[in-house]
Amino acid sequence: MLRLLLEGAFYTLVLAVAGIACGTTLGLLLTPLGFLRVRPLRAFYHVFIFFTRGTPLLVLALLIFYGLPAMNFSQGPYVAGTIVLTIYSSAFFAEVFRGGVLAIQRTHLESGRSLGLAPLAFLRRIIAPLALRYALPPYVNVCVMMVKASSILSIISVWELTLAAREIIERTLLVFTALGIAAGLYFIMCFGVDRLGRRVERHLMRRGFVGERV
Amino acid sequence: MRFLNWLAAYGPSYLSGLGWTALIALWASVGAIVWGSVLLLIRLSGRRWVNLAVEGYVQLFRNTPVLLSIYLIYFGFPLIGVVWPAVICGGLALVLQNGAYISEILRGGVKAIDLVQFDAAKSLGLSGWGTFRRVVLPQVLVYALPSLGNQVILLLKDTSLLSAISVAELTMNAKLLTEQTGAAYEAFVVVAVLYLLLVVVLELAARSALRAVRWRPRHDAL
Repeated sequence: MLRLLLEGAFYTLVLAVAGIACGTTLGLLLTPLGFLRVRPLRAFYHVFIFFTRGTPLLVLALLIFYGLPAMNFSQGPYVAGTIVLTIYSSAFFAEVFRGGVLAIQRTHLESGRSLGLAPLAFLRRIIAPLALRYALPPYVNVCVMMVKASSILSIISVWELTLAAREIIERTLLVFTALGIAAGLYFIMCFGVDRLGRRVERHLMRRGFVGERV
Repeated sequence: MRFLNWLAAYGPSYLSGLGWTALIALWASVGAIVWGSVLLLIRLSGRRWVNLAVEGYVQLFRNTPVLLSIYLIYFGFPLIGVVWPAVICGGLALVLQNGAYISEILRGGVKAIDLVQFDAAKSLGLSGWGTFRRVVLPQVLVYALPSLGNQVILLLKDTSLLSAISVAELTMNAKLLTEQTGAAYEAFVVVAVLYLLLVVVLELAARSALRAVRWRPRHDAL
């Protein structure tokens, strides 16, 4: 039983990491849309965020689970699961990054501009490091959320930790043992992600990249 | 056009699911706020091992998925002789989970109050309850209401997980309709819109609640 649950935990971790990696990329692509002067693009950004954050992950998962085969795109549960997590997390990540940029003090932006940096250098030297400093703690929170959210994929029959626990319950009725171990494994993963995030933060601080904690 | 036909045919069948979702979300939020306050009061009472126990509880629930607690109560309680309907089991799981978050939110609000204010309240001759009602509560509400609103919205979205233990709420409704009618996406699009509607309602409610409790200078305040 322990082996089965550990295997499930491995799949949970893979799904979460894949979802976080793709979601971060998509989020980074979305964030600039929220700042553009072009009205329709900015509206698109806000509508996307509103829809994705306002509906439960399970509804999005079911929509994709039933919708993809109807569009003749069936690549198996893991691809579908990763797509679900990617779309869902990208909305949260985009908002985290946008919040990071918005938190930058006006004076910093103005002094950056007064240095006469080219737009790209301005983005790389001023905006990115400052936004990172504000966005890192909430970013880690969203990552922890994604590890937990991946459990919902068990309902659309993606085999991971929660589904493994359910199978064990159905076969052996060892409810408390199976769910207790599963909870322990989730705890270790979530706590691990949280600790990892803090270590990265401290590491960056020591290198003077992130500055003092806000 | 196909979508509109579908909506006309099956739209009304969502009403009972919508009712259940709203009902579960409402009572689970009330329960979670009460449970969160109880946890906070236990924690503020200040005994060391009690503090540790509450802190452990909060950490445990913050780092495990809700679905797991739902399964634990739904599958586990019958084994120890407690047979409750699925709605109650699921609702209890939501209360236990969100109570942990809410106690942390409220704790942040209480910690934001300057300790000097307690001395000031004492020097004004306020009793323990008076201090709580006149000094602590108004400030905690203003400080914590935005996060509290967010938490209630998260809770509303989490009620969809109760469909996994076959509670007949909105998501279950859509699942059944999809399986009955063979429509691929219509059922879930409608459900998504209904959830968005509920979220907007909650957001507006939270905003007007914040406006109601925000401190206004009043000379008869004390």
